[in-house]
Amino acid sequence: MKLVKFAAAAATGILLSTGMAGADDKPVVGLVMKSLANEFFQNMLVGAEQHEATRGDYELIAVGMQNETDFESQINAVENFITQGVDAIVIAPADSRAMVRPLKKAMEAGITVVNFDVALDAAAKEQQGVELAFVGPDNRGGAQLAGNALGEALGAGGKVVIIEGNPGADNANERRLGFEDSVAAYGLELLDSRTAHWETEEANQVFSTMLTAHPDVQGVMAANDSMAVGVVKALEAAGRDDIMVVGFDNIPAVGPMIEDGRMLATVDQFGQQMAANAIDLALEVVAGGPALEGWVKTEIELVTAD
Amino acid sequence: MSSADDIGGTPKNGAFSLRAIINNAGIGLALLVLILFFSVTTEHFLSPNNITNILTQITINLILAVGMTFVILIGGIDLSVGSVMAFAAVVAGKAITLPGLGTTELIVLAVLAGLAAGLVCGIINGGISAYWSLPSFIITLGMLNIARGAALQVSDAQTIYSFPFVFEEFGSMLIYGVPVVFLLALLLVAIAWFVLNFTVFGRLIYGIGNNEEAVRLAGHPVFWYKVAAFTICGLTAGIAAIVYMARLSIASPIAGIGFELNAIAAVIIGGTSLAGGRGSVIGTLLGAFIIGVLANGLILIGLSDFMRQMITGIVIVVAVILDHYRAKFSAS
Repeated sequence: MKLVKFAAAAATGILLSTGMAGADDKPVVGLVMKSLANEFFQNMLVGAEQHEATRGDYELIAVGMQNETDFESQINAVENFITQGVDAIVIAPADSRAMVRPLKKAMEAGITVVNFDVALDAAAKEQQGVELAFVGPDNRGGAQLAGNALGEALGAGGKVVIIEGNPGADNANERRLGFEDSVAAYGLELLDSRTAHWETEEANQVFSTMLTAHPDVQGVMAANDSMAVGVVKALEAAGRDDIMVVGFDNIPAVGPMIEDGRMLATVDQFGQQMAANAIDLALEVVAGGPALEGWVKTEIELVTAD
Repeated sequence: MSSADDIGGTPKNGAFSLRAIINNAGIGLALLVLILFFSVTTEHFLSPNNITNILTQITINLILAVGMTFVILIGGIDLSVGSVMAFAAVVAGKAITLPGLGTTELIVLAVLAGLAAGLVCGIINGGISAYWSLPSFIITLGMLNIARGAALQVSDAQTIYSFPFVFEEFGSMLIYGVPVVFLLALLLVAIAWFVLNFTVFGRLIYGIGNNEEAVRLAGHPVFWYKVAAFTICGLTAGIAAIVYMARLSIASPIAGIGFELNAIAAVIIGGTSLAGGRGSVIGTLLGAFIIGVLANGLILIGLSDFMRQMITGIVIVVAVILDHYRAKFSAS
């Protein structure tokens, strides 16, 4: 039994942890995550593993991927979990459309499925006739929190630019929309909006050029903290300390920047607990609780110097 | 295409030959046209701040491209430089954040560790592909994954930060508006130019690209020259890692994804033949400028991200077509 599990999980991509031996009556939860090269998911995995040890009443099999867009290995992981007959699948989909069909198969096999982190596409769910709740943060609302902090500080007419994440990624879209909500709500002037693909060096290059084109910019909204770090370094290089920067994710590297005022704010969506929370919800359903419905929003919090 | 001159140790095909001047003049002209175009169409392109920006922006790509020129000249390719840069950065990042050491010791240790990490990856790339005569495309594709995995493993997928102040200062230091890190890149170009044109080693790099068998029959240790070319490429990835850290004050294990493609593009746009044996590091310098000027200028004129990506792609394709005709011209 254990050997089969090991082989199946290994075949799906990166093998993270096999469950404890023995105690066959414990429910088995299959956790499917996105790229573990991403600090955010790496922390999430650590959180889930700690959670398994603390609760002690379930078995965790976790699978990650090589990169953000590798949804094929996610599909394989789900299919392997179906074959293994796990009790629940908890998944952060890499593609909000491609993952609907394999998850439908899992539900038809009687497996409890919980979708967290990124919501599956509503239209695709409807087309496949799938009813599935979403457990996760409101990326758009979170970005709006950060955007509003900037709007509050600048006041109406403040000139801002947006540094976007990967074009086409759902969380990138949501965060951009949230920033745009703030722009509208506070009457800000959006000078330019460009992608830096979540990456520090690219954000540094793209923003320093945007600064040349728009020297009158007053605020920057970056869709993640890695890019915000690149923006802050560009501002330092240009000797501009009059421009305010907000980010998203609350990675440790921005802590000092928020403290000394180089960054105005970031947003924490408590990634480390996110997978653990979703597992809790899944186990409740497995234990006979009612099915989840709609959108179970998880905590988000604005982080500032005070 | 290959003559005895190319294989021997004389600089007849050097930077001062008529052919080399014609080759580089075309690229220089293209760069000039781009600069003129953006100066006319945008307000800020020629402002001192923007020139400083462009120089900063092309630095890392230029450093990687200098090493890449050696590898492409021998008819190889190195797809691993972006990952190797990330690996070298997290190794150096781990070193520079060690507790209980003085600032100077930390910086020296970090620089040596970063360079060593790059060097080792280069030796492995070159050693394996040369010893078994395997295509470097595949070996370095393997290294692309190995080094990226190693970078994630060493750093536990966390961004490393909080470096000594003087180290971060170095990354943004200017001399008359010119970034010190760019001067460092320029120094590497000068060294590479000298080595390629005026040393036996350099001439044999061209020779191997033109006719490896002839170089071997002439009694030269081809294996070691090939290893050296990849080692130089790994070393420049290590140098790029140090510059990355100094500029951005972080070492990220996901840094440099896709950087190998920009470095290859700079070399090819610069007129170095993918088949090896023909090209120059001065061309690479101009190629890096073309990519940097395009990236900067297209944002300044307000073109969308997607259009910008398309135009950069078109420029690469056009450069290769031009190279085709240049090769015909040189052969006749």
